[in-house]
Amino acid sequence: MTDFAIDRRDLLLNGVASVAILALGGLAPAMAQAGPDTLENYKPVYFDAAEWAFVMAATDRLIPADGEGPGALATLVPRFIDRQLAGDFGKASRWYMQGPHDPDASPLFGFQLAQTPAEIYRIAIPEVDAHCRTTYGETFAALSDADKDAVLHDLETGEVDLKTVPAADFFAMLLANTKEGYFADPRYGGNHGMQAWTYIGFPGARASFREWVGQQNTPYPLGPVSIGGERA
Amino acid sequence: MRLQILITALALTAGSAFAADETETGEYIAQLGDCAACHTAPGGAPFAGGLAIASPFGDIYTTNITPDPQYGIGDYTLEEFDRAVRRGVRKDGANLYPAMPYTSYAKVSDADMAALYAYFMKAVAPVHKPAPASDLRFPFNIRFGMEGWDIVNRPEVGFTPPYDDAQLNRGAYIVEGLGHCGACHSPRNLMQAQEGYTAASDRFLTGGTLGVWPVPDLRGPESAPQKWSDAELVEYLTTGRNAYTAATGEMALVVERSMQHATEADMDAIVAYLKHIGLPAAGSDKAAATGAGRSDDTTAMLTAAKPDMPEGARLYLDNCGACHTVSGQGAPRVFPNLVGNSLVLSDNPGGFIEVILKGAMMPSTRRAPAALAMPGFGDRLSDDDVAALASFIRSAWTNDADKIEAETVKKIRGQL
Repeated sequence: MTDFAIDRRDLLLNGVASVAILALGGLAPAMAQAGPDTLENYKPVYFDAAEWAFVMAATDRLIPADGEGPGALATLVPRFIDRQLAGDFGKASRWYMQGPHDPDASPLFGFQLAQTPAEIYRIAIPEVDAHCRTTYGETFAALSDADKDAVLHDLETGEVDLKTVPAADFFAMLLANTKEGYFADPRYGGNHGMQAWTYIGFPGARASFREWVGQQNTPYPLGPVSIGGERA
Repeated sequence: MRLQILITALALTAGSAFAADETETGEYIAQLGDCAACHTAPGGAPFAGGLAIASPFGDIYTTNITPDPQYGIGDYTLEEFDRAVRRGVRKDGANLYPAMPYTSYAKVSDADMAALYAYFMKAVAPVHKPAPASDLRFPFNIRFGMEGWDIVNRPEVGFTPPYDDAQLNRGAYIVEGLGHCGACHSPRNLMQAQEGYTAASDRFLTGGTLGVWPVPDLRGPESAPQKWSDAELVEYLTTGRNAYTAATGEMALVVERSMQHATEADMDAIVAYLKHIGLPAAGSDKAAATGAGRSDDTTAMLTAAKPDMPEGARLYLDNCGACHTVSGQGAPRVFPNLVGNSLVLSDNPGGFIEVILKGAMMPSTRRAPAALAMPGFGDRLSDDDVAALASFIRSAWTNDADKIEAETVKKIRGQL
């Protein structure tokens, strides 16, 4: 399977770069929205209404609210994906995108699709919805949880035949981006309130814990801190 | 080659300049005199001027000193050049503002002046562009007024070796004269004149202020030249870093553009001189180490990382601890030691607060090319945060300096 994860190095580099830019220019993070930080108040910058409904519904099933930790919606994962697709990741700015594109190539050869991640979401979502209408009579977002899970499962195993992109590749990208939105620094739009970090006990961007190497069998007492300096 | 180095060294030691290549000697004199610090604007052509120097009376723009005849000093004779550098009088007879350290350059030898002139005339590229005019408030915009200032404050031209030791004399010649260290490191009187131009004055090199920055005392018992070893001083002056601290702000530029170029003999002379002029008690620096044992208390508190620790300590762990460590001591040559640090503990906290807000960068030199930098925290810390954090650091470990108010932080943030 092709690895669609947003490169960790890119994420870190971008993080460092944006910290530097903020330090230089004193710019506010791109958080312009009215009212509290909720998905209801958020205006997607990349997705249209139908795509947004799909991403909300799909991420909600991949990391549901009734699991052990916070769900994808409570942590604003859809906002993370929307912003990433509007940015360099969505445009594959730093990927080699010329041919040959060989879907049967070993994963060692890297990304093999001709479309950028933003294009893949744009193409795949209507095709998934078309499949759902044919099979269940409704778009994905309108299905029952059980039916949604069945569709996602069929995408993952490639049992659904999407016309333009391999279903399994689209599913892999969606799942990877959902995890990233869950665990990335809140600066990128997801992991709202550092809930995912708090849930797994990750202390965040405090950067060094050398003095804890020798403190065995002592739980680390502090909650996480984000790149922006917020605490949770 | 070896012969030339020998001759140059002899010539420099003797203070005369029959060096093989006069312009080369002149370039070295320009480096020791750090002409570029003011006469080369950031990103501008070398020596084309245009750097704004803020003074209490308005902005003074440095001039174009390239050999362009119209906008530079191309039509200056050696005598006219000499009068500007050592007396502060322009070709047309107008007085220069004492932002130009002619009061220090007065000590430069005739031979070095000739070499400097040769360098500017023959080796510097002319820049056919005017530097902006200075913008001083009345009555300071009347250059004629400088006449009176000069009569009262300007030392005589010439250097009388004060010591029986050639190395100390060479050190005095550089530090008091060419290097014009006193321009920043000496206090200024009500007329904005430097207090003392030689070590004979107890005020000379006892610290001052530059914008919001405190400039450290170089003579008191707690001052760096008196506490550090010769090798540590040399390392600081030539690489901008040592086991305790790192040069930042103006001093980083002094290291990068001037001090790193000093010959080994000259650097040793500078250090010998600075060591020699120590005073029993002087200067504006805060004495560091007090309250033995408290050092361990702070380190233990930060190591335990209990959520109920004071806000300043929590901010330190969240923002600073990764590099400066729970002991505050950082790492030699990489992360400055915050314990007993003169910038941290100064009565004037401006420089310390500016570094927290804006970050800092070490100079890049031949011996230490890495311009290691600290990021600014102005975007993630509020004025209250910075005040709590700075107050904590100034009282943590064995540090013992006054609290910082949010109002002070706000003022400095406004000036950035």
